[in-house]
Amino acid sequence: MPSRPLSFLPTWLRSARVLIGIAIVSAIALCAIFAPQIAPHDPNEQNLLSVFLPPVWMQGGDPAFLLGTDSLGRDVLSRLIFGARVAMLVAVLASFGAMIIGATLAYLAGYFGGRIDALIGRAVDVWMSFPPVILSLILMVGLGIGLRNVILAIVLVDWTRFCRVLRSEVLVIARKDYVAAAGLLGFSHWRTITSEIVPATIPLLITLMSLEMGVAVIVEALLSFIGFSVGAQTPAWGQMIADGRQYIYDSPWNLILPILAIFLAVFGFNILGDGLRRTLDVRVSAQRT
Amino acid sequence: MFATLLTLIGRRLLLSILILLLVSVLLFIVLRALPFDPAAMSLPPNATLAEIEAKRLEMGLNLPLPQQYLIWLSHVLHGDFGSSIQFRRGVLGLVTSTLPATIELAVLAMLIASALGLAGGLTLFHVRGTAKEPIMDLGTVVLLSLPEFLWALFLILVVGVALHWLPFTGRIDPNMRLPVTTGFLLIDSWIAGRPDIFKSAVEHLILPSLALGIAFSPAIMRVLRSSLIDVYQEDYIHLARLRGLGEKRILLRHALKNAALPTLSLMGVQFGFLFGGTLLVEVIFSYPGLGNLMVDAVRNADLPIIQAVGLTYCIVVLSINTVVDSLYLILNPKLRLR
Amino acid sequence: MDMLIARNLSVSAALAERPVNVIENLDFSLAPGRILGLVGESGAGKSMIGRTVAQLLPPLFSVSQGELLFDGQNLVTMPADARRELLGRDIAFVPQEPMSGLNPVLTIGQQIDEHLARLQVGNRRTRHDRAVAMLDAVHLPRPAELLSKYPHQLSGGMCQRVLIAMAFASRPKLLVADEPTTALDVTIQARIVQLIAEMQRIDGTSVLFITHDLRLAAQICDEILVLYAGRVAEYGPAREVFARPRHPYTRCLQLSNPVMSGANRGLYTLPERMPGLQALSEMTGCAFASRCPVVREDCTTTPPPLVSLAPAHRAACRHSEATPGIVAPQPPVETAPSAAAPLLSVSNLGKTFRVGRGFFQHEDVAAVKSVNFDLNDNEFIGIVGESGSGKSTVARMLCGLETPTSGTIAVSGRDVTQGDTAARRHLRSYVQMVFQDPQSALNPRRRVGSIVTQSLEATGTGNHAARLARAQALIAEIGLPPEAAFRFPPQLSGGQRQRVNIARALCAEPRILIADEIVSGLDVSVQAQLLNLLLRLRRERGFAMLLISHDLSVVRYLCDRVLVMYRGEVVESGVTADVFDNPQHSYTKTLLAAVPPDDPATIWRPKTDSADGTLPVEDPA
Repeated sequence: MPSRPLSFLPTWLRSARVLIGIAIVSAIALCAIFAPQIAPHDPNEQNLLSVFLPPVWMQGGDPAFLLGTDSLGRDVLSRLIFGARVAMLVAVLASFGAMIIGATLAYLAGYFGGRIDALIGRAVDVWMSFPPVILSLILMVGLGIGLRNVILAIVLVDWTRFCRVLRSEVLVIARKDYVAAAGLLGFSHWRTITSEIVPATIPLLITLMSLEMGVAVIVEALLSFIGFSVGAQTPAWGQMIADGRQYIYDSPWNLILPILAIFLAVFGFNILGDGLRRTLDVRVSAQRT
Repeated sequence: MFATLLTLIGRRLLLSILILLLVSVLLFIVLRALPFDPAAMSLPPNATLAEIEAKRLEMGLNLPLPQQYLIWLSHVLHGDFGSSIQFRRGVLGLVTSTLPATIELAVLAMLIASALGLAGGLTLFHVRGTAKEPIMDLGTVVLLSLPEFLWALFLILVVGVALHWLPFTGRIDPNMRLPVTTGFLLIDSWIAGRPDIFKSAVEHLILPSLALGIAFSPAIMRVLRSSLIDVYQEDYIHLARLRGLGEKRILLRHALKNAALPTLSLMGVQFGFLFGGTLLVEVIFSYPGLGNLMVDAVRNADLPIIQAVGLTYCIVVLSINTVVDSLYLILNPKLRLR
Repeated sequence: MDMLIARNLSVSAALAERPVNVIENLDFSLAPGRILGLVGESGAGKSMIGRTVAQLLPPLFSVSQGELLFDGQNLVTMPADARRELLGRDIAFVPQEPMSGLNPVLTIGQQIDEHLARLQVGNRRTRHDRAVAMLDAVHLPRPAELLSKYPHQLSGGMCQRVLIAMAFASRPKLLVADEPTTALDVTIQARIVQLIAEMQRIDGTSVLFITHDLRLAAQICDEILVLYAGRVAEYGPAREVFARPRHPYTRCLQLSNPVMSGANRGLYTLPERMPGLQALSEMTGCAFASRCPVVREDCTTTPPPLVSLAPAHRAACRHSEATPGIVAPQPPVETAPSAAAPLLSVSNLGKTFRVGRGFFQHEDVAAVKSVNFDLNDNEFIGIVGESGSGKSTVARMLCGLETPTSGTIAVSGRDVTQGDTAARRHLRSYVQMVFQDPQSALNPRRRVGSIVTQSLEATGTGNHAARLARAQALIAEIGLPPEAAFRFPPQLSGGQRQRVNIARALCAEPRILIADEIVSGLDVSVQAQLLNLLLRLRRERGFAMLLISHDLSVVRYLCDRVLVMYRGEVVESGVTADVFDNPQHSYTKTLLAAVPPDDPATIWRPKTDSADGTLPVEDPA
């Protein structure tokens, strides 16, 4: 192989997609972590004298409010930056929870097969016959409004995404002779799964995690759009969209900017997942909400 | 051969019914875990405690849960989904009067998604290995990152608000009246001989179905592309070339038929998701379908409606899956014949 | 005029830093109605020649010089459209994998019809009649019924017959058959080869027969061209090349193949393997020099010329006079198996699989019916049979991977049939398995050192250093360099991986090895290395082995006794030499007759009486 720049890095770090994805995701993550330091204003500070200010590059923009203000005169930029907190929190916690449940069931189903597989398979079938939006809405009715329940609802809905895809992967690996060989050499089921099967699925897991984070951002936005997520005091992108939609003629920017924020976050996770899928050589069907 | 196919499809149908039963159990459990008292909510606010207690007994809320479920199930099987708390009328009537609107939207969206998916998938496959590939591929990731409700808002902003090309609220022009026959406006307007209403209905459908269709097409594109790439690795394609068949014929007759199988099973899943996606699109376009009914019911904790609408969504998704799986059986001789 | 002529043909690959010739200066000519055998091991470039004929080379491969003339027209420079017109009409192909050569979603009839329509054969009606006649000509039973079947409903042999029928539909002038029988069972192989020869005689077709099997080529070809690393090693009349090989490589290839008749002779083992692309690009002399037993100093300086040695017999060797001096080593010393109590005792072993069919219906398929045998210490027993005979199911039951539905398995006197924990532990301490496919058998994420000591890891024996020391010892024992311990399986060759596979099983110090088709899919020279390794290991460590194989010659070379399985039953068993020299059961006779004889002068008479038109019987496992 001819030597190329960056060749000291692992393959997956040399992919442009992965790098773009990491750049976008970490930028949003930094915004979330350091929101109080970065944001120019208090996101809830109302400024009733200057409502519906357009962004600074439009006519009538005010340099104090770089991206303009909303119907209550709150600074849109600050609200977007604080909104990243909710998005990232949900993305990380919900996808992690869904992964834990989905992956555990997938390993059990794929490795043991037979009745266990049939049982888990039926459970997935039942879950999959609910459109995810409907099931999360019903769960929100059952669990009650609030960010914690949004995360819980996403976990309870989206574990099937991991379970379905991972199960078929585990089935393939479990049929490999080296898994049978491990058993013949005296490995317990637990050790066979953890040392022979799990490592082979890590690339797929990472890829699915990345894609699921994007899905979680979307679902949170959707639930806060219809008012089921955080309270009015916490800025969230979905809520900003719901507000902006009411004043679509007064200030389209109040709608466009949070849409762009969501798109950017989801794109970041998707391009990262896509890049990882290619470089880690994972076969995963493209899928989303 | 035909009999085996019917048996297999029958088996699939039975499985769907079993799943539906399990779905209803799940739905029942989730909604019974609610902190509300269904008895108190179904009475006027000034009802006395004694009246509420009497209602509880009447509704069977003091019985053990499995028994409550069976009672509810037998009502449902008789077409009795209870009555809505907010509207004070039969839930079944509410569902059947809104379902056609949602189906109309979903079917059109599925057609758009399939058409875009097929065209996009073939284009992506066509440009493989060329300089255009990475750009187009990036394009699909961009498309994949915009969910249907963002598309809906985006289309309203551009086509509705900025360009004033198309209407973006409701199902038809509010001044038009049409007697309900089937509930499907596109059909009813033909029956009534009202092309103006047909036109208005189509105009109102374009933006919401486009939002859904565009949002669900990239997944189809990518699966079709990768299935085609897989199929082209197969020996029978190589051998067809060695027999001197032309590339066009190889694509249309040999490759597409095989690549259709994995694409079809993905489309089944996607269409289930798409049907759920109508909910938010309906809310955004104030489109009077199941989705708006559901969201209203959720906001007002109208349990009978939530239960009935939730079940309806599942029935439709299960029907989609059953149809897709049956098509898969028909198209795949390996499963059909032994 | 000759039908196919290659003149100074080279194909290069732009895979390495500079282009490497994967085919270099190829010269041959194929006369009308003759069969030319292209013989070589994997990586010799023989399939690349088939692809060059159609000009359907993989990406980055291209013809770098020379010409390939078909009927006087240069296939390399001719316009693509004109070449496509020839394909399927004047030039036909028979592939290696018949099952995947047919489109799974189209019926046989649709695929034949499409081909006939392209050949402009009449209307739909006449095409149908023609299709029936074609299938009849390749001896497929009930051809009209077959037309409405899909490929997966047919056996591999039937699919190959369909493809042969299609290939001969246009009475082609040239047929390229690329390992057409490799994927098929022995008895079916024989029938397919005979069918190609029969069709070829009728139409007077020239055939380019690509194969790895020198013995088969000697039997059916008129001329043989032996390829080594993309270079011609030897080219001449088939029997002449086989009887008096002039190139050392041909001779070594011949001697590394176990014989099917007469006294056992030792197998010649070539060291290492054929040079890869990288090595080829750095090579100056003869490509075979690094492995050649009679190499001289001048061999590594310049490539050898193709020397004419007898009429039409050429070899690319400067020292071909040394070739007859290469002789097979002494046959392996017979180690008398201990006659004490049997190590493994199998009685009435049976396995029935339950296959679901529709509602509440199921069918019981007996994969193994009542198998009996004893295995003594230090004894090698071979189980031979074709796919679906149940031989692999027997192997899996003996390791505890399947639970028998009837009968008993006793290991060292203890019944282990019902696999409870104690029985499994007992079984593990005596029996280990060497799996068939080393690609699937070795975890690609573990280093070789960790793989071979996996049984120590399982029992928690020793620390890291102790295990590494043990791994090094094992790796040395199976003949791999010490640094192999730190490699991952994908970095090894097929033969090396199979050695690792054996080492892992041996680490647990088993008394019995169950080896399932461990040399299938490997080249003869690598196969010879492995067979000799197993014999050496038995001498050094002492263990018994049950070798499952479809290759009769391997069993003849390695095993003391043999069991012949057919449809789940042992139809014949006994001391290897007795069974091979004097078979009793008609199936054993058919099986033995299907193998091409050692001496090409002997007339090969495989039995073709029983049709292979039955549906496939396969292991449901």
